[in-house]
Amino acid sequence: MKIEGTHELYARRQRVYEVLTDPAVLKRCIPGCESLEKTGENSYRATLKAGVGTIKGIFTGSVELEDLRPPAHYRMTVSGKGQPGFLKGSGDIDLDERDGLTVVSYTGDVQIGGTIANVGQRMIQGAVKMMASQFFTAIEAEAKVEADETPPKHGFFRTALRWLSGKLRRMFRGKRSNPS
Amino acid sequence: MIPAQFDYVVPATLAEAVSLLSQHQDEAKILAGGHSLIPAMKLRLAQPQLLIDIGRIKDLSYIREEGSEIRIGAMTTHYQIESNARLKQICPMLPACAAQIGDVQVRNRGTIGGSLAHADPAADWPAAIIALNAEMVVVNGKGQRVIKADDFFVDMLTTALDANEILSEIRIPAPAGNFGQSYLKVPQPASGFAVVGVAVHLTRDAAGACEAASVAVTGVTSKAYRASAVEAALKGKALDDATIRDAASHATDGVDANGDIYASADYRRHLASVYTRRAIEAAAK
Ligand SMILES: Cc1cc2nc3c(=O)[nH]c(=O)nc-3n(C[C@H](O)[C@H](O)[C@H](O)COP(=O)(O)OP(=O)(O)OC[C@H]3O[C@@H](n4cnc5c(N)ncnc54)[C@H](O)[C@@H]3O)c2cc1C
Repeated sequence: MKIEGTHELYARRQRVYEVLTDPAVLKRCIPGCESLEKTGENSYRATLKAGVGTIKGIFTGSVELEDLRPPAHYRMTVSGKGQPGFLKGSGDIDLDERDGLTVVSYTGDVQIGGTIANVGQRMIQGAVKMMASQFFTAIEAEAKVEADETPPKHGFFRTALRWLSGKLRRMFRGKRSNPS
Repeated sequence: MIPAQFDYVVPATLAEAVSLLSQHQDEAKILAGGHSLIPAMKLRLAQPQLLIDIGRIKDLSYIREEGSEIRIGAMTTHYQIESNARLKQICPMLPACAAQIGDVQVRNRGTIGGSLAHADPAADWPAAIIALNAEMVVVNGKGQRVIKADDFFVDMLTTALDANEILSEIRIPAPAGNFGQSYLKVPQPASGFAVVGVAVHLTRDAAGACEAASVAVTGVTSKAYRASAVEAALKGKALDDATIRDAASHATDGVDANGDIYASADYRRHLASVYTRRAIEAAAK
């Protein structure tokens, strides 16, 4: 299955790139991430308690970052399995600077199999979009804080509030000359 | 196909159910008709440690008229709504929608409250409930609050219900004036769930023109939504072919459609506009 999307983040591109490739930040921002350990240069092992609403499952798997070209591009390969099924895929992440914002676009191909694919096919795309927007909302908050400051707190409500205020900001952006 | 171990309690009152839910929050799930929750548990996609069965609570299953409202208890089954003679007269969209859900077994067990609380992106009730401008009555430890249908569905499988809240009643303004309604869907052949479902409620003035229209769509994206652009294109207009066609072409304006192996996002958008047109035609008859 193809997945793709773009997210506009109100933060500097260099900083967005740093947080997107920082395991400590990723651990805080990936929805349901319970652990993320480094297993080599740019490769990690992760445990996720992922899901939406009533439907949840625990996945363990690996994440590898390749083709790192800061601050514009990297490639990510993930593979995981858990009780509800397995998932394998890779994708390209590109960062662009536009009007003081960083536009992150991702495109990739994922294969999902097992129970979740058999019974949850029709919900996979929606679930991916939902988790991606939670992830990028958290990443945006991280990227706004400079490296030596205390990281922001995430949690369902904080993330939901940020997502909402982000939406509002975007709605009114046309009327503002200088986004901050 | 065997669920993980869980405990099971059968409270006798809503207050008891709410207090059990507040004590256990994340580990507990309300059990209504069980036709979404139990399959997920059997597949171990959901593993609640405690099921709070609200099926024996008296007075959670009813269809009443009160003042200018129709009130439906959360535990009312799809079949009870489908077969209610009075609803067929005063709000035919409700029985029409109920009749198109799954199969006989599902309609005999599944409840309107369970369907709304579950918020499956392809469920039928959410579209009907938005188009009818319903309100959800929700009970929690502190009392109750009322949530408008437009604010109830947050995202896929996610509603405005807090983890310690129970949906107790759905309130629907009784349709008045010269009105027409319809609910049409394209069922997924295996599950019956809506690939696309469209609910239309419209009122007409003395000349037969559309006074106001309320249109909601399910199945297309992560949650059911109000098709505001369709409504705006109908309001105040004579309901002729050209107007209906033009209005229906806006069925997915601003909507990020989802695809799956059965129906691509483009196909869903196409179906949404065709079924919106047919549903408006049916409601305008
Ligand atoms: C084969 C099959 C085909 C189906 N086809 C369709 C279809 O075509 N269209 C359609 O719309 N649906 C369809 N369904 C789903 C069916 O309508 C379900 O019954 C319904 O979605 C859930 O209602 P329930 O009463 O069974 O809820 P349950 O499965 O008991 O509960 C579902 C979820 O809602 C929560 N919940 C339930 N009641 C409340 C409450 N009062 N307050 C707070 N939380 C609550 C539960 O904790 C659980 O998380 C189908 C199901 C099956 C098995």
